[in-house]
Amino acid sequence: MTSAVTIPKSGGTGRTSAVAARARQVVKAYGTGETRVVALDTVDVDLMRGEFTAIMGPSGSGKSTLMHCLAGLDTVTSGQIFLDDTEITGLKDKKLTRLRRDQVGFVFQAFNLVPTLNALENITLPLDIAGRKPDQEWLERVVETVGLAGRLKHRPAQLSGGQQQRVAVARALASRPRIIFGDEPTGNLDSRAGAEVLGFLRRSVDEFGQTIVMVTHDPVAASYADRVVYLADGRIVDEMRSPTAEAVLDRMLRFSGGHPQTSATGTRERTA
Amino acid sequence: MTTTRNAVRGFLAHKGRMALSGIAVLLSVAFVCGTLVFTDTMNTTFDKLFATTSADVTVSPEDADAENASATGVPPVLPAGLVADIERAEGVASAEGGVFSTSVTVVDADKDSLSPTSGAPTIVGNWTDFDARTMEITDGAAPRGSGQVMVDADTADKHGLALGDAVSVIGVKGTHAAEISGIAAFTVTNPGAAVFYFDTPTAQKILVGEEDVFTDIHVTAADGRTDEQVKKNVTAALAGTAAADGGYKILTADEAGDQASADFAGVLDVMKYAMLGFALLAALVGVFLIFNTFSMLVTQRTREIGLMRAVGSSRKQVNQTVLAEALILGVVGSALGVGAGIGLAVLLMEAMGAMGMNLSTDDLTVAWTTPVAGVVLGVVVTLVAAYLPARRASKVSPMAALRDPGMPADARAGRIRLALGTVLTLAGAAALHATTRAEAAGDGSQWLGLGIVTTLVGFIVVGPVLASGVVRVLGLLVLRLFGPVGRMAERNALRNPRRTGATGAALMIGLALVACLSVVGSSMVASATDQLDKTVGTDFIIQSPSGQLITPQAVDAVRGAEGIDRVTEYKLLPDARITMPDGRVADKEWLNAADPSYARDLRTDTEAGDLADAYEPDSMSVFGDFADKYGLTVGSEVKVDFPGGGTGTLTVRAITSDEVTVDKGALYLSVDTAAKYIPAEKMPLDSMLFAGAEDGQEDAAYTALKAALDDYPQYQVMDRTDYKEALRDQMGQMLNIVYALLALAVIVAVLGVVNTLALSVIERTREIGLMRAIGLSRRQLRRMIRLESVVIALFGALLGLGLGMGWGAAAQQLLALEGLTVLEVPWPTILGVFAGSAVVGLLAALAPAHRAGRMNVLGAIATE
Repeated sequence: MTSAVTIPKSGGTGRTSAVAARARQVVKAYGTGETRVVALDTVDVDLMRGEFTAIMGPSGSGKSTLMHCLAGLDTVTSGQIFLDDTEITGLKDKKLTRLRRDQVGFVFQAFNLVPTLNALENITLPLDIAGRKPDQEWLERVVETVGLAGRLKHRPAQLSGGQQQRVAVARALASRPRIIFGDEPTGNLDSRAGAEVLGFLRRSVDEFGQTIVMVTHDPVAASYADRVVYLADGRIVDEMRSPTAEAVLDRMLRFSGGHPQTSATGTRERTA
Repeated sequence: MTTTRNAVRGFLAHKGRMALSGIAVLLSVAFVCGTLVFTDTMNTTFDKLFATTSADVTVSPEDADAENASATGVPPVLPAGLVADIERAEGVASAEGGVFSTSVTVVDADKDSLSPTSGAPTIVGNWTDFDARTMEITDGAAPRGSGQVMVDADTADKHGLALGDAVSVIGVKGTHAAEISGIAAFTVTNPGAAVFYFDTPTAQKILVGEEDVFTDIHVTAADGRTDEQVKKNVTAALAGTAAADGGYKILTADEAGDQASADFAGVLDVMKYAMLGFALLAALVGVFLIFNTFSMLVTQRTREIGLMRAVGSSRKQVNQTVLAEALILGVVGSALGVGAGIGLAVLLMEAMGAMGMNLSTDDLTVAWTTPVAGVVLGVVVTLVAAYLPARRASKVSPMAALRDPGMPADARAGRIRLALGTVLTLAGAAALHATTRAEAAGDGSQWLGLGIVTTLVGFIVVGPVLASGVVRVLGLLVLRLFGPVGRMAERNALRNPRRTGATGAALMIGLALVACLSVVGSSMVASATDQLDKTVGTDFIIQSPSGQLITPQAVDAVRGAEGIDRVTEYKLLPDARITMPDGRVADKEWLNAADPSYARDLRTDTEAGDLADAYEPDSMSVFGDFADKYGLTVGSEVKVDFPGGGTGTLTVRAITSDEVTVDKGALYLSVDTAAKYIPAEKMPLDSMLFAGAEDGQEDAAYTALKAALDDYPQYQVMDRTDYKEALRDQMGQMLNIVYALLALAVIVAVLGVVNTLALSVIERTREIGLMRAIGLSRRQLRRMIRLESVVIALFGALLGLGLGMGWGAAAQQLLALEGLTVLEVPWPTILGVFAGSAVVGLLAALAPAHRAGRMNVLGAIATE
């Protein structure tokens, strides 16, 4: 048995599957022999379309690695990764780049924006790179939702940290990607600015039906998600639906306290 | 102590980023050291050569080295009887007469010249024991009888000559045919001359036309006698026999060697200082490269420097750490440069070998001053370049350690910079303008120099401000074609105008000189062509490319050619002494003696009088400046002491204009007037002939002339088109040499572009990672970097070419006083350089773009 895997089924549209991204038996190892370190140990996970998923876990648990592999930024040692029904493991750089450009959005912890471009240019950058015309109506809606209408001509250096991250989220949304990956998108922000960004991510799921996967170690951030997946030592050890900050914190404390067996939801550990 | 340790660690930590700076230092230092070692080695070689090839004591005619010594085609000689007189002198072991001449041409059976093309002389002489000291017969035997000649091995090799082959010596005494009886190889360095030996009577006959004469006498001292003692004794022995016309020159081996070396060193010095000039220019360009490197290192290490300050480093210590790093760079770079310079010198020696001058690496001379000069240059260049970045580093506040590093803030080009740069540029432009208004070339050239330096500094200062504007314009014209990638390239080039400005300025310097010289060069050709069209009435010009004078036989051949209407002889008379009516004397003047028809062959404007009158008996013309200087007017009478002849009183009948390019500063008189005062045997040969064809017979006459001179391959017949082409070729060759030397500065500038891009790529690692993550393809990324490079290169080219054309135009205006009346901008060259800069920009981006493309996306994002 594997954990956190749902049986693929058709989604509401009928044309695309309900699973936005899948990992199958994914192993990511660094080094060889004595110095071999396994960052991901036969991970299976399905990330559902239209859902906001948070990946949590202690430092070194492999949560960032998992996200990087899912997003096609990193290669896996073995196993398969699918975005929609496309297997991305084994794709050449050219195709991967195009896939990232057209179908994936990114929000990093920091340094999300090109300093020489203004906010609007940063938002439309993936579209510009692809040579696509932005959908003006959609763009306006995104900009409005982000609440940056008056600051579009500002350079990143003229924006606050929270504003910068909101521009980054807007950029990720602008090309209407199938999935957005966030790597600790609020890690560098104070709680108020962080709440703004998280609220915005939440709304893009609720209002636009956007699929979002976010790596975080902040229980408050995780509480914005629909589902929390826990990683430890390169394996998925637990998951939680409709989390609250208290519940997430509680769960994490138990993991770090070394009593995972008492997990209330009966997480199956040491999966084969 | 910590300063030193930090500097060493800083240098080692960033050695990759300093590599190109090091190469820039290395190149400049290598060129300087290479030049010094090469010229020193040449001096050593020739000192040795002259020392070994000089006899203990040499006796020669007193006027043997005078300018006109061989103008008659016959060398000055001594009576052969002197040999016996000298042998009788105390301490003389032996004396031997030599006869040689360089006023000859030697051709093979196909009438192709065997003379060296490098400008080295052709020497024909008698084979003596003295020659046998430095040459070894490797094939055949020494020449005996008038039908035999021996040739040096290098010439034989080059022209594929073998024993029994026929050669002919063409001289003023006629053409003499002989068969090769032997081949002799130099046992010392052959400076590239072609040498032919006959036996003594034959050499005397064909070179001088009489027997029992020698051009010099080689004296060997007896054992135990010094050269000085023998010289004294020989001088005493000859005191009684002094011939009527002039005495003797008696030199010891040392004196002869020193004299020859001194003549040679003068030529070598010109080359040495020219090459050093270009090396220093490259060093100046290197300053910009190193300045950029240190600026970027300081920016990248702002946090680290802030931390150093926070934990207690003083401003001074920070400053000194940066300067110490520069010092290490300078020392390492120049130490490598000294080594490379010696290698370069060896390469140059090899190249000289290919041209026929065999230099031995045994003579490789590295004076102690050479490495010292190299290291001083390298260290000064790096310290000067690092001065401003070091000062900026010392101003970093301790707070910088705490701030989010983010990206370095856009460095804005300051208003002070704009103001200062504009003022300097305007001042320079004013000086250039003053140049064009100058009445005298002397004042004007000072203004020109000032204008060039000031505008250059002005452009360098204002460069970063200009960068913003120029890059935007280039962006509109070029980059917009490339969509968002082009836009990002433009933004990147604009991101730090100071860096773009300094990178472009480095390229600007070299290209400004290229543009300036090409404008002046093509204006020279255009002006000369223009003047030729306006002034030259002759159909044909006959002269020798190697400067051989024209023998009477050849003159007769020209006169006899079919379809020739008139022939004008033209001679240069050196060493005339002119005494003015007021008693002032102009010494060592050259006179231009020509037939009266020369006034038709070359129409020269006069300020006063009619030039045709100057060819009347006992008349002459002077040029404008000469007349002004000595207060001469038409009708003035001057006393002229002719070289090797009498004194005449000539009347100035015309004053020629100074605004000419052909025959500038000529003092004309007729050949007949000259012949009245100079005895026939002392009369110099013609240096050029001018011929006019009968009307309508131009083509036939051209063919006939070429046929008539078939036996004299040393002369060239040119019609006006040929002449203009020759002029253009000559200018083209000169410019090519200068361009080749400027290439060093341009190469360093291109390294500067590579350096800027490479360091920018490192600096923007995270940004590049981000853009790759959100979907920028490798190709797009590489194109972005290439476009940035092209824009920087075009910026530098635009500034440089604009500046250079301005300099060139100002120089032309100044030289208009000297006859450079036509301004011609060589657009093909200018546009070619501009387009070439774009290509250079692409090439410069190759490595940095490749490197950026290879970056691991995740690694790049994670970089701090």
